[in-house]
Amino acid sequence: MQTLKRSRFAIFIGLFPALVIYLGIAIVPIGISLYYSLMNWNGIGSMKFIGLDNYVQMLQDDTFWLSVKNNVIIMVTGLIGQIPIGLLMALLLNRGMKGSGFFRTVGFMPVVISSVMVSLIFGMVYNTEYGLLNNLLGFFGLESWQQNWLSDSKWSMLSISVAYIWQNCGLYMVMFLAALQNIPDEVNEAAELDGATGFKKTRFITIPMLRSTLMVTIVYSISNSFRVFDLIQVLTGGGPAHQTEVMTIYMYNSAFMNLRYGYGSAASILILLFSLIVISIVNRVTREKD
Amino acid sequence: MKKKSPVFQIFAYTFLSLFAIMNIIPIFWMVINSFKSEQEYSADPFSMPTGLHFSNYAEAWRIANMNVYFLNSLLITFVSLIVTVLLGSLAAYFLARFSFKLRGLTYSLFLLGMLVPIHATLIPIFLIMQKLSLIDTYLSLILPYTAFHLSLTVFILEGFMRGFPKDLEESGIMDGAGIFRIFWSIILPITRPAMATVVILNFIYNWNEYLFALVLITSNALKTLPLGLANFVGIETASYTLQMSALTIALIPIIVFYLLLQKQLVTGMTAGAVKG
Repeated sequence: MQTLKRSRFAIFIGLFPALVIYLGIAIVPIGISLYYSLMNWNGIGSMKFIGLDNYVQMLQDDTFWLSVKNNVIIMVTGLIGQIPIGLLMALLLNRGMKGSGFFRTVGFMPVVISSVMVSLIFGMVYNTEYGLLNNLLGFFGLESWQQNWLSDSKWSMLSISVAYIWQNCGLYMVMFLAALQNIPDEVNEAAELDGATGFKKTRFITIPMLRSTLMVTIVYSISNSFRVFDLIQVLTGGGPAHQTEVMTIYMYNSAFMNLRYGYGSAASILILLFSLIVISIVNRVTREKD
Repeated sequence: MKKKSPVFQIFAYTFLSLFAIMNIIPIFWMVINSFKSEQEYSADPFSMPTGLHFSNYAEAWRIANMNVYFLNSLLITFVSLIVTVLLGSLAAYFLARFSFKLRGLTYSLFLLGMLVPIHATLIPIFLIMQKLSLIDTYLSLILPYTAFHLSLTVFILEGFMRGFPKDLEESGIMDGAGIFRIFWSIILPITRPAMATVVILNFIYNWNEYLFALVLITSNALKTLPLGLANFVGIETASYTLQMSALTIALIPIIVFYLLLQKQLVTGMTAGAVKG
């Protein structure tokens, strides 16, 4: 079979370059990370195998647990903020009201702006002396509400969460909107024939039809919350005193500030592990309900 | 369409407007203040500017090295994009149109990339680049950007190519075209709609990337826009209006890009998100 042999060669030629770059830079390094995570290494001297010591030490480090807690805050506020708002926006926009194109455009806009830019803009909004927020409060005579939004540990994580939600709501909105537009007209017509209108129809017909999309958005939102880095790194750098540090920043600091590459690698493996665990829990819980 | 109750209408428009205002206000406030002098801004951050101080823009452009960052971002974004789309579409073609033993495995491997947080690979990539003496070069960013966006590229293009009817290639074979010829002259042209989505998506991701740039680029001459901006704002803490001008300059192209291509961008991002 002449052609078969030739096509086999062609397949190899076609896939090889993509696979080499992809495996070499995106996949193999995960294995290398795992390997480094068992080492004590500053990147220059010799590597010393220390087994799980990095992990043991990390699990005993209060700063690490603080960063885990902050990740949980981002995860929970992200879920509470992005998904209901996104869903409500999509439900409203899907009713074909006047100006819905405008609202959709404006709603999605923050999604395309880089996290760094969002972070820099919110840095100005939260600025204690000259920021939009404190000035706005002063303008309405609410001076007592003014805060050091980013440096007061009571408010800093919340302030960051608001910026995070601001940036991503639009994405969930269009995800729900796409799903809503895929609901066949017959379903809506049948529901209306049965006398379901307005809120009832939304509650008993539309929302159940969105179930799988809802699950996808939840998993997506969770896995995204473990990846937050740019936003916080630029806004607060994880400070003051680690108060806004998340796992990615903990990893970055361990490796690139303190030059502990083995320890940093262990942190990166834990990030991977934590996000996989939470996602598989969500998957299991939702599957059991079906 | 049935009639809608006025109460519902009021509720709906109130909510939609609030949401829109929340989205616009921070940006609007920044743009307005970027036109003020520093004194004017600190006196009243809410007033409309008395005159348009375009001098802020000229100064920000100069002090912030914006031209350098823009050029670097453009170069890195486009080179990565071209390589990603070229290699990705070729891989997608073979995955979509041929059956071979390792097809399933290869395809799942490509998809796996969408699950992996880049942070899990950052340290090894840094050390690999260091070993190859690629730290602080364009290539040190082009390679990771290409690698990490191959997943989504292959995924979207493979799905699209798989939908083509089989006779497409048969006609090509009749005419004596080879596999690569068929790919280039038959498959690629009809993949254009999906290609547009992929290109736009890659552009946005590469243009906005920060973490790799932060770790792999050190010299000012090679910094990309997000990295340069973050750096500039960190240093230039004295003048807020100057910061705002620099941010507005960086914001304009991406907003224009979005307004022009929003449909494809939205479709692409939701497709990417749903499978990511």
